[in-house]
Amino acid sequence: MARYGMVIDLKRCYGCYACSMACKVANHTPPNVFWSRVLKGESGTFPNVVRQALPVLCFHCEDPGCVKVCPTKATYANDDGVVVIDKEVCVGCKYCMMGCPYGARYTVPEWKSYFPEGLPLSELEQFQKEAWEEKSGCGVATKCDFCTERREDGKEPSCVTACPADARIFGDLDNPDSEASQRIKRDRGFVLKPEQGTKPKVYYLPPR
Amino acid sequence: MNSKLHGLVQTEWRWLIAIYLFLAGAGGGAHITGVVADFMGWTQLANIGIGLGWPCVLIGCLCLIGDLGTARNAWRVARKPDTSWIARGTIIISIFMIVAFIHTVLWVWPGTMAGPEVGARHLVGVIGAFFAFGTMVYTGLLLGDAIPIPFWNTTLLPILFFVSALSTGVMAVVLVGVIAAADQAHLLTLGRVDIVLIVIEALVLAAYLHGSYRVPNTRMAAEHLLKGELAAMFWMGVAVCGLAVPLVIDAVGLHGAGAAAASILGLIGGLCLRYVVLAGGAMYPMAAAGFEFRPIKRSKDPMPAIGKMPPS
Amino acid sequence: MIAAKERNGKEDVWIPTCCGQCYCMCGIRVRRQNGVVTEVEGNPEAPTGRGKICVKGLAGPQLLYDPYRVNYPLKRTNPKKGIGVDPKWERISWDEALDIIIKKLKKCQEVDPRGVYFQATTTQASEIRFGVIGFMKAFGTPNYWVSGGGLHCGNGAHFMNGIMHVSWSIIPDFAHCNLPLNFGCSKGHGAGHVAVQNATQAADARARGSRTITFDPFQSAQAAKAHEWQPIRVGTDGAMALGLVNSLLNEHGIWDDEYIKYKTNGPYLIRPSDGRYMRDKETNKPLVWDLVDGCQKIHSDPSVTRVEYEDEAHDVAIQGRYTVDGVECTPAFELLKEHVKKYTPQYVEEITWVPAASVSRIAKEIGQAAEIGATVTIQTEKGPKKIPKRPIAAHYFRGSQGHVNSGWTCLSIDMVNHIVGAADTWGGAMGLGATVCGGYEGTGKPYQIPYADDDGLLVAKAWVYDHLPYPMRVPKPPTRLDLHDMFPTSIYNAFTITSPRWFEMLDRFKIPYRPDIMINFGSNSVMTMGHAETVTENFLKKFNFIFSFQLYITEFEEAVADIVLPDTCYLERYTPAVSFPSTFSHPQGEDDWGWTIRQPVIEPLYERRDFNVVMLDICKRLGISDKYYKGLNDTIIMRYGGAMDDKYKLCEDGSREHEWPEVTDRLLKDRFGEEHGLDHVSEKAVFTWPKRKEDVYWKWFNPARVPLYFEYFIDSGEQIAKLCDEFDAKEFFDFDWSRFKALADWYPCPSHTEPDPEYDMYTFYWRAVMHCNSLTQQNPWLDECSQEDPYVYAIQMHADTAQKKGIKQGEKVWLENSHGHRVRGWVALTEGIEPRHLAVAAVAGHWGEYMPIAKGKGTFFNDLVEMDKEHTDPLTLNQDICCRVKIYKA
Repeated sequence: MARYGMVIDLKRCYGCYACSMACKVANHTPPNVFWSRVLKGESGTFPNVVRQALPVLCFHCEDPGCVKVCPTKATYANDDGVVVIDKEVCVGCKYCMMGCPYGARYTVPEWKSYFPEGLPLSELEQFQKEAWEEKSGCGVATKCDFCTERREDGKEPSCVTACPADARIFGDLDNPDSEASQRIKRDRGFVLKPEQGTKPKVYYLPPR
Repeated sequence: MNSKLHGLVQTEWRWLIAIYLFLAGAGGGAHITGVVADFMGWTQLANIGIGLGWPCVLIGCLCLIGDLGTARNAWRVARKPDTSWIARGTIIISIFMIVAFIHTVLWVWPGTMAGPEVGARHLVGVIGAFFAFGTMVYTGLLLGDAIPIPFWNTTLLPILFFVSALSTGVMAVVLVGVIAAADQAHLLTLGRVDIVLIVIEALVLAAYLHGSYRVPNTRMAAEHLLKGELAAMFWMGVAVCGLAVPLVIDAVGLHGAGAAAASILGLIGGLCLRYVVLAGGAMYPMAAAGFEFRPIKRSKDPMPAIGKMPPS
Repeated sequence: MIAAKERNGKEDVWIPTCCGQCYCMCGIRVRRQNGVVTEVEGNPEAPTGRGKICVKGLAGPQLLYDPYRVNYPLKRTNPKKGIGVDPKWERISWDEALDIIIKKLKKCQEVDPRGVYFQATTTQASEIRFGVIGFMKAFGTPNYWVSGGGLHCGNGAHFMNGIMHVSWSIIPDFAHCNLPLNFGCSKGHGAGHVAVQNATQAADARARGSRTITFDPFQSAQAAKAHEWQPIRVGTDGAMALGLVNSLLNEHGIWDDEYIKYKTNGPYLIRPSDGRYMRDKETNKPLVWDLVDGCQKIHSDPSVTRVEYEDEAHDVAIQGRYTVDGVECTPAFELLKEHVKKYTPQYVEEITWVPAASVSRIAKEIGQAAEIGATVTIQTEKGPKKIPKRPIAAHYFRGSQGHVNSGWTCLSIDMVNHIVGAADTWGGAMGLGATVCGGYEGTGKPYQIPYADDDGLLVAKAWVYDHLPYPMRVPKPPTRLDLHDMFPTSIYNAFTITSPRWFEMLDRFKIPYRPDIMINFGSNSVMTMGHAETVTENFLKKFNFIFSFQLYITEFEEAVADIVLPDTCYLERYTPAVSFPSTFSHPQGEDDWGWTIRQPVIEPLYERRDFNVVMLDICKRLGISDKYYKGLNDTIIMRYGGAMDDKYKLCEDGSREHEWPEVTDRLLKDRFGEEHGLDHVSEKAVFTWPKRKEDVYWKWFNPARVPLYFEYFIDSGEQIAKLCDEFDAKEFFDFDWSRFKALADWYPCPSHTEPDPEYDMYTFYWRAVMHCNSLTQQNPWLDECSQEDPYVYAIQMHADTAQKKGIKQGEKVWLENSHGHRVRGWVALTEGIEPRHLAVAAVAGHWGEYMPIAKGKGTFFNDLVEMDKEHTDPLTLNQDICCRVKIYKA
């Protein structure tokens, strides 16, 4: 069985938000929900200053904080290491949002349109609302699932496919020969907040 | 706007959860006060404490259910408890409420069904107090188990919440006691006990904030309380209302309305304490290669105005 | 045509087409589920994009379904026009709309068809090449502009790159370049043409270990990804580049001798009397000095030319003095070398604020990285060939070229490449889009191999406009409403038409007609040009009738349009060619050629109609279909690599009509053969064929030279000055025509010479990756994304400067220029900006009532842009888009 993970090369990433949008479009997330998100940082003082982008998503940890705190086992890791949420079991207590050190989880109390209230929903938004309610749901925790449907279709997660800088590598971390495993080893791959002990499966390669 | 916490502070758990934590604590505290009063033979205060405790916790639970959003979700949390602190808490609270309810029905209710079997009553009271203790401590452990939020993730928090819970429990009993015209002397004794509790609470709170301030990952949360966005609520609500004023009133030993006022202020302080601790719950920023990253906090701007639609 | 697949009993199909959220033209696949367009992803089959797609492209479905889209023809019932006026729209039928339009057009046709002014958006650049250009030819009007497009972003850049690289832009050969130098551009970092592909290539280059230096006043994406950021004063990139050229030539003594001698006009002998070429008496061709034979030779003499790198030729002089026909002449290169001496590192530091030592050091780095003398062997059709390897490239775009020194700044930056021979060869600065194309082998089309004119200089075979960047047009007495016929460069200007004395100018130049009808295709010129009130009052309100093909009721329609026609968006239409003209929009590199088409992924919703379909209809109703078809045929020649065969030509004799998809079909069949028509191409929405290596690295396979010495500019300047005098027009524009000269210089912008110390901050705008022009601001997904970024809707200000001025993070401020024009916004504090600068993103700050998502977001920078002659580059008529402002709390 594979153990899926991702490598994000910060040297390649220039912070264009294509991953955020690709995720939004593929997963029909409503306003304020970014399963895949780009954070921006700045370091130093003028003129020795530089900015850097950090794309984040669910890190599908080996030892996930969210799973630990979930009162109903609604969130769990699949055999392939992908952490998922059973929306039928989730009770919406949001404890997992406190348990995830990476802010990867989102809950919307009710589906909202991107357009002002009072307008009839467009065909697209009607579709998105139904798709969201069917797959993810309101009042329950939601997050990145490495694009389950796309993987079923033999595609990579949408953020990986779209990335104009080719900064993302999706692969099997159990396979030492996979590009992802190789790059982590070769290019000093690291994870975020390792002290949290969550053992993320999304690795970063240094920006410089 | 406190830019240091910008985008990092949790915004999911707010007033409803604060009320839940507060009422669970105060309810448990009231129950313990009642049981102790029972041992002291102060029947009226014992009945007040035990009769007051579990309904408070129940109301708190309703707030939690309110926070879950849908009734469907509420049903599920009760149906599928598990190993998380929320699940454990659910069990502890449920047992507490059941025991305390039985206690109330058998011995507290006007025209109670059971007679004055002191031994059985004390036993049930102690069992209830044990789970009340669990309930009070649990509120702190619940937050403490959120490892990514270092401000909560400390052993002092359950202690703080326990002491505060006991103190607010005492105050709740005093408040109802004043209204029910309970024995002055007993009330004054409770007030003195409360002085001790308030002093301990203040010391624990100081230690908690001092500890938080010393550690980089929690300093911003501590600053948030002491001089940031939450400073007003912390200083006015927690420090003055919740601690200083009740302490002074208790120390002076005011009766009647004075004692009631001290209790009301103390209860408000207890609620504020829960809120500021919740609202100060921030993760620390993600860091990589010398950069710190924090999400943009999305302003809760109202949706754009509808504007004008092209005629159709 | 497209087989509908089913999934769970519901339609679920991915349709290939081409993106239209900006002018980059990436191939996409669009998902349609049960009749609803739900998703976009890149089309791996299309060389433009190769399966990658940017944030804007992904957000496309919201554009299709936005409830604020115009879905029915609308008529203005309030005769009053202007910003803030309620047009009192009324829905009308298509027939009524077209009746009104035809009546107006017919009347104009009778009076003077030149009264029609076509305005278009660069976002839909590929549509322009048909409906706009074809109609102008058919109707007989020369009047056209794309507002900010060109005047902000390319009058300088496109013109100069056309001269030097026969292309629209330049880009490092990222695959091999070891030292890209970015001058105020985000090519490779999210913007510019072919943005997605460039980003992939630039990321590959970083991963490979290439070193990047960026000159930019703020920490733009390309500065953030660079190894070295030089916070340069806005508008001074030209001086920086000339400093590098000087340092290379005179400090370090580095230049590519072979390149200068055989690929530039560096060896051309210049006579001292008037700075002109010394020409051969018989052939009139410029002369060079043969050092072997010790005599002059015409530049194209086989003994002194090297087409291919391995060709042999006599050494020619590029320094010294040589007597020809009794006149002592100097090679052009020597003049250049002397001329740039004044750009000492110290002088450059004064202008640019880049330390003198850095100027000198960077020049040395360039010299070393260029590996002058190194070669590589590539596989060409004629076997392996050696070509120079020059892995450095200086490139630029809107940021550095958007100033009154535009033309010379572009040439100065590119000159860095040409000095070290790093142009259109392995690792160097390449034309973007890729231009040099021998055509698909089955048809030889599109044929786009540039050639040398009699003076030996590079002439484009394909170009986006009808006139070429070189040879330059001869200035003529004006006939156009913007008088642009008298200016030899670029395609339009703003300082004439937005002047309060516009009509006086028309009188003075004896223009017999006045603006009558404006046709707008997708542009929002009220916001995209300059100070909105000025554009509206001085220009737009001069038209008697304006009708507009538009997706939304933008600020333009609100202010001045009489009729709004609901256009289809790019997902609802055919476009016969999008990645071509390749000059404009084809990726650089060794990947295949790809001719992308746009095809509808859904039938037009509501009563929307495709612009190009309506233009066919309008021409039919006007009775000019035959001329329109001829116009399209003619348009195709220059832009798409050759004339159509008779078999596929559109009917020019009025005997038959064509449907719009048929036009697409014919063009495809003509370019790629009968079997490769629309039916074939629509399966992938792209037709691909292999690129020859000698077309990628074409420099040393082509006989043409490029100028280092712009001899012919001198003539143009004299001609315009003469015209100006003839019409006694000095009082309208007493430009410094001496800027039409042979050697590059840097000239200060008005922002550099602002005398009032109260206006102490420089401000400029930058291109945010999630926006293109002004329309994307209404897309709610892109709006949300903009809010995710700390700076897209903000005014970036250095934290120390802000502290001195008592301005805090998030505070609302005004920026006001010395003309009393001001804009509002909120401040984001940062260390990542030169402390005397303020940076504003995108065409933001919409106020239109019909675009509520866009309304009030960000800062409307263009209100600070003045369009008078002081803010216009005499050489290219480019606008200056940096300003000096004071900042104060709102």
